[in-house]
Amino acid sequence: MSAMSPRADVAVSLIQVAKSYGDVEVLQPFDLQVAEGEFVVLLGPSGCGKSTILKMIAGLEEVSHGEIHVAGELVNYVRPRDRDVAMVFQNYALYPHMSVRDNIAFPLTMSRRPRLKRDVIEARTVTAADIVDLTPYLDRKPAQLSGGQRQRVALARAIIRQPAVFLMDEPLSNLDALLRADMRTSLLEVHARIKKATLYVTHDQIEAMTMADRVVVLNAGRIQQIGRPRDLHTAPANTFVAQFIGSPRMPLHDLEVRDDGILQLADVTLTGDADVPLAPGASVTVGLRPSALRATSSASACFVGEAKRRDYLGSDSYLEVDLGEGLSVMVRAEADAEVRPGDTVRVDADPGAIHVFDEAGARICGASVCRRER
Amino acid sequence: MILFVGVAIALVPFLYVVSTSFKESTSLFSYPPDWIPSPIFWGNFESLFADHPFVQWTLNTLFVSGAVTALKLWFDSMAGYALAKMEFAGRRGVALLLLLSVAIPISALIIPMFFVVRYLGLLNTYWALILPPLANPLGIFMARSFIVGIPDDLEASARLDGASEFTIYRKIVLPLIRPGLVVLGMFTFMLQYTSFIWPLIAVQDSDRQVLAVGISGLQSAFLQDWGLLSAGMLAAAIPITVVFLLVQRAFVFNDLSGALKE
Ligand SMILES: Nc1ncnc2c1ncn2[C@@H]1O[C@H](COP(=O)(O)OP(=O)(O)OP(=O)(O)O)[C@@H](O)[C@H]1O
Ligand SMILES: [Mg+2]
Repeated sequence: MSAMSPRADVAVSLIQVAKSYGDVEVLQPFDLQVAEGEFVVLLGPSGCGKSTILKMIAGLEEVSHGEIHVAGELVNYVRPRDRDVAMVFQNYALYPHMSVRDNIAFPLTMSRRPRLKRDVIEARTVTAADIVDLTPYLDRKPAQLSGGQRQRVALARAIIRQPAVFLMDEPLSNLDALLRADMRTSLLEVHARIKKATLYVTHDQIEAMTMADRVVVLNAGRIQQIGRPRDLHTAPANTFVAQFIGSPRMPLHDLEVRDDGILQLADVTLTGDADVPLAPGASVTVGLRPSALRATSSASACFVGEAKRRDYLGSDSYLEVDLGEGLSVMVRAEADAEVRPGDTVRVDADPGAIHVFDEAGARICGASVCRRER
Repeated sequence: MILFVGVAIALVPFLYVVSTSFKESTSLFSYPPDWIPSPIFWGNFESLFADHPFVQWTLNTLFVSGAVTALKLWFDSMAGYALAKMEFAGRRGVALLLLLSVAIPISALIIPMFFVVRYLGLLNTYWALILPPLANPLGIFMARSFIVGIPDDLEASARLDGASEFTIYRKIVLPLIRPGLVVLGMFTFMLQYTSFIWPLIAVQDSDRQVLAVGISGLQSAFLQDWGLLSAGMLAAAIPITVVFLLVQRAFVFNDLSGALKE
């Protein structure tokens, strides 16, 4: 395994890492490399093993199988404090009996080699507090801070160590939406400033899509896909990723490929974009990305159906459109478009709107509308 | 109103003791009893300090109770930390064994304890009074239950930040369970301050004896000097009251709020 020794510009490298508690496998073997300065987001539903990955890298959980390298060094048997990683915990884990200053300085006061002088610690504490705008609050106790401020204390406590790698476990999950957006921006600013490899856990796909250089999508202990946010959107590796990313959720329809290798969705036929034509008779699943479907008045529209229900989502609104034969899709509509339930709606599909998956759920290809029959 | 009656009922015996301690034995059984003795009689207290080593008893009791309390809090909190937070083989076994030993009544232990202490040659020493109470596991369970309430992530974070197990215990765990430990300490101190049977058995010298035993010795089979006895009880109650008042200052609750996001 060591044959795959990580390159020098790789900050964290996980090689065939797996985790089980007794007989229960919570993480299947996987590989993951995080480059210097890269911001990688681990995204997945609750209980899929995100925190476990971070804790293994930090050394707080044993690794059942595989190798973990931090800054080019194998750390499987290195104590947590010697691993050169800092972690922001899912629930800040501030020391409630210490002031903000003592909380931030704690990692430095613990350092023995070299033992740091008081004024050095104070100077670095002030610098770290300044990076996260906490300077006015240094003498308060955590209980006297707002949620966002506590979150920044936890962040400053990680920054002050000047680690090779930052691990952040859902640091924004309990903040209200407005504050979360603010903190997202300031986290990215801090990241841009110190440019250290960061592994960031979240179950919020918007957070993942807006912050990440690359996203790792996890489900039930398995990596589903690793890719740039765009790639996850335009080429989801499987039905899980396709449905997990994007809002509203992508509806899926099970179909059988016609004998001529063409898919028929209600009264519309589709051809796969792959070089290899779809196997006749194969069972496939077709997904239509709501954000790539538009309600339109153009007569050349791909689909025609009946409007059922309308959801407002900020500037956009989404219509549920019944295509007949029990198939319905969600399509984007101008918020001010006058559509009432029961109206006939024409729908245009942008490129990349349609995805075809095999029986096991893995993506085969995209598809394009060839024509409306009838 | 009911509260008032309750308080009154609780206070009457105490006031009676106070009143008795300032009376001559001869005027004790006058009827109806005078609640306020006149003239106030100091002879009981004079006798207490002059004829009996009352000051020595008090010092002994304070020393023994203080030592037991301090050592117990130290041991219990460390053992509680290990039981609550550390993974080691047989942890459940140890906990179960301790739990079982809580269920053994003290009276069943006194005689074996006496032989052990005699075998160690500690009879009639302060050690005989200090060591055996330390073996009581109840405090370990209480300490453990305080510590279990501290979120694991707090220690994980400290460990990642470079703290050793002992530093985590000292700098994180101890400050956070302080309110609990204060209660446990007061409880232990009180129990020791009033403990009677074991000191009665383990120590013979009047000079090494503790208050509870000493005071009970003030009455003999032939002479019941209620005045002297009451004076002893009253005087014995004063030091522990002072201790409690002092400790109350340390009773600043610092709870966990602020550690986690709520
Ligand atoms: N000590 C343990 N013993 C057994 N199973 C555990 C243990 N710790 C975690 N697990 C299991 O491992 C799985 C992954 O847990 P983990 O905490 O990594 O999830 P997560 O993705 O961080 O979830 P969340 O988003 O809720 O924080 C869960 O199914 C959990 O039940
Ligand atoms: Mg988690």
